[in-house]
Amino acid sequence: MSTDRLGVALLLIVAIFVTALLATACAPGPEPQGAAAPTVGAVEFQGTWNAAGTRRTIPLGGGRTSSIVELKGTMLLEGPGRPGVGFLAETIALVDSASGLSGRSVWTDENGDQVFSELVGEGTAAKNRISGTIVGGTGRFAGASGSYEFSWQYVIESEDGKIQGRAVELRGVVQNGPAEGARQ
Amino acid sequence: MKTTRMRVKQAVPFAIAIGIWFLPVPDGLTPQAWHLFAVFVAAIGAVLIGAFPLLTAAMIAVATVVLTGTITPANAFSGFSNSSVLLVVIAFLVAQAVVKSGLGRRISLFMVSRFGKSPLGLAYSIVLTDAAIAPAFPSNTARAGVLFPIVLSVAQGAGSVPDDAEKRRLGGFLMFCAMSSLAVSSALWMTATSANPIGVQIARQSGLDIGFGSWLLASSVPALVAILLLPLIVAKLFPPRVAETPDAPAAARRDLGAMGSMSRAEWITAVTFVVMVAGWVFADSLGLNVTSIAFMGLGVLLVTDVLSLRDIAEQGDTLTTFLWLAVLFALSGQLNELGFMSYAGERLASHMGGLSWPVTYVTLIALYVAIHYLFVSQSSHVLALLGVFLDVGVRGGVPLPLMAFGLLFASSYFSVITPQGGSQNIIFAASGYLRQRELYQMGLLVTLAFMAIFLLIGTPWVLLVTR
Repeated sequence: MSTDRLGVALLLIVAIFVTALLATACAPGPEPQGAAAPTVGAVEFQGTWNAAGTRRTIPLGGGRTSSIVELKGTMLLEGPGRPGVGFLAETIALVDSASGLSGRSVWTDENGDQVFSELVGEGTAAKNRISGTIVGGTGRFAGASGSYEFSWQYVIESEDGKIQGRAVELRGVVQNGPAEGARQ
Repeated sequence: MKTTRMRVKQAVPFAIAIGIWFLPVPDGLTPQAWHLFAVFVAAIGAVLIGAFPLLTAAMIAVATVVLTGTITPANAFSGFSNSSVLLVVIAFLVAQAVVKSGLGRRISLFMVSRFGKSPLGLAYSIVLTDAAIAPAFPSNTARAGVLFPIVLSVAQGAGSVPDDAEKRRLGGFLMFCAMSSLAVSSALWMTATSANPIGVQIARQSGLDIGFGSWLLASSVPALVAILLLPLIVAKLFPPRVAETPDAPAAARRDLGAMGSMSRAEWITAVTFVVMVAGWVFADSLGLNVTSIAFMGLGVLLVTDVLSLRDIAEQGDTLTTFLWLAVLFALSGQLNELGFMSYAGERLASHMGGLSWPVTYVTLIALYVAIHYLFVSQSSHVLALLGVFLDVGVRGGVPLPLMAFGLLFASSYFSVITPQGGSQNIIFAASGYLRQRELYQMGLLVTLAFMAIFLLIGTPWVLLVTR
């Protein structure tokens, strides 16, 4: 087999491999034991959030800084009764090294239904535990309530000013609102 | 006139895009992320099967995603102001000054006089030079800007031209050796590319402290083996078809003597180049932007008439490269920002449960490398996926140092898998010596060779030195 033919054959194999890879990635995952349709009562969930975005920081003197952070990325959830397999989670936050973090977050699922939440946290590198309060939503999440917590495993800034973070130990509880309950 | 076969081939990417676009959106992804993925994968697929050149595929892709409202125009066109993309373009233009001034011919004759007994000798001189200077260059794109004029001058000095099917082979061989060398020399030194320190920070968050010395110790054996084998592998894949030239060094010495002393243009180019290189080396410590250094260098060459506006106008290939690179850079970045990359990574990694740790380790490395087909930046790939794969590997029982170093080294050597896999590749890919399909074919084969070396030789070595 000539090198050219070998190259073509390998490219085809790789194309098939990558396609199969992505089909596997995007196929429905194994349902957690006991998974069921969303219930009216409070349900627990856990997961991860990988987010990319930007951070703009101004110095406030004496080592104090304040930043506007915008992050967007995939939140993948596990657990029986999880509100969804995953969401595109978008967050805008003001982080002050002295007074902590205050932010707002919107989660959007594959149908465009959204969950809204408010975030507070200490916002420092050493204490980055962030708490969220779910304050409502749209579609099947209309009237949802609940809370969640997470901390950053890392937030790293690249040379072009973009930041990327990975949140772990994301745990929470969500209760569907009256609209969802009525539909069931 | 297009043949039926070509028309069918050109229909395939559209069928791929439409087919994926209208599949149900996977749970947890937004329609925007899914549709962008459909268009991006069709664009890359079009080039892989030879349906369209990269420029054509990129133009159709960006127009589609903006006109369908998949992403905003601001996000779609953001690559045109990206500093890495601009650095590639400016470094390419500066390289023309090295050739035009005659400095390139002088460098070429010097290299042939020392290493010119065979194409392999020239290739080794380029690869080893790169390996030696790499630790001083935190930007491998800047390093490509240093190597490219030398490689181009050596190729042209040997009579190799891009437009001749036979004569382009030596140039193509040397270009691909240099391009692959940048990938593997970045794995050898922790400070040889900006993606490495990012990966080191992520590894530190997982509990592994890596310093310059510990990185070099772990990388030394597999990376040096890869560097030493590289010219032989490329010669096998793309034979330069130039016989041994035992008399070439003596002839080059004679020509070098006949050139006499350096001209004004050569001096200006040499000084400008040295100042630019110094700026790139000390960019971090001096707080300088590497792209701005290149702009200043180009400005000096224009002010001193070493380069003219006509010279710039003649570089049509540079515009082609700028257009497709900026578009693919932005689309790949948007795939990441819309969550597709981490979604795919997390979901793939979630299928790893129940495997033995060696199988988990090899599978994760192979997946990590393969998924680089979707990335146009090493740093973006490291930022988006290294932490995810490291986490899954460690939870699967792979020793932390082995998984971390395996992924860190892969983050460098996978850059050669596609011509757009690292911005440093683009300068060589745009030289015209290699066809796009050849770049993809050889990129894949060389990446597989690197992966085999790092898995077979690197794994036991890393286990030994990190015990």
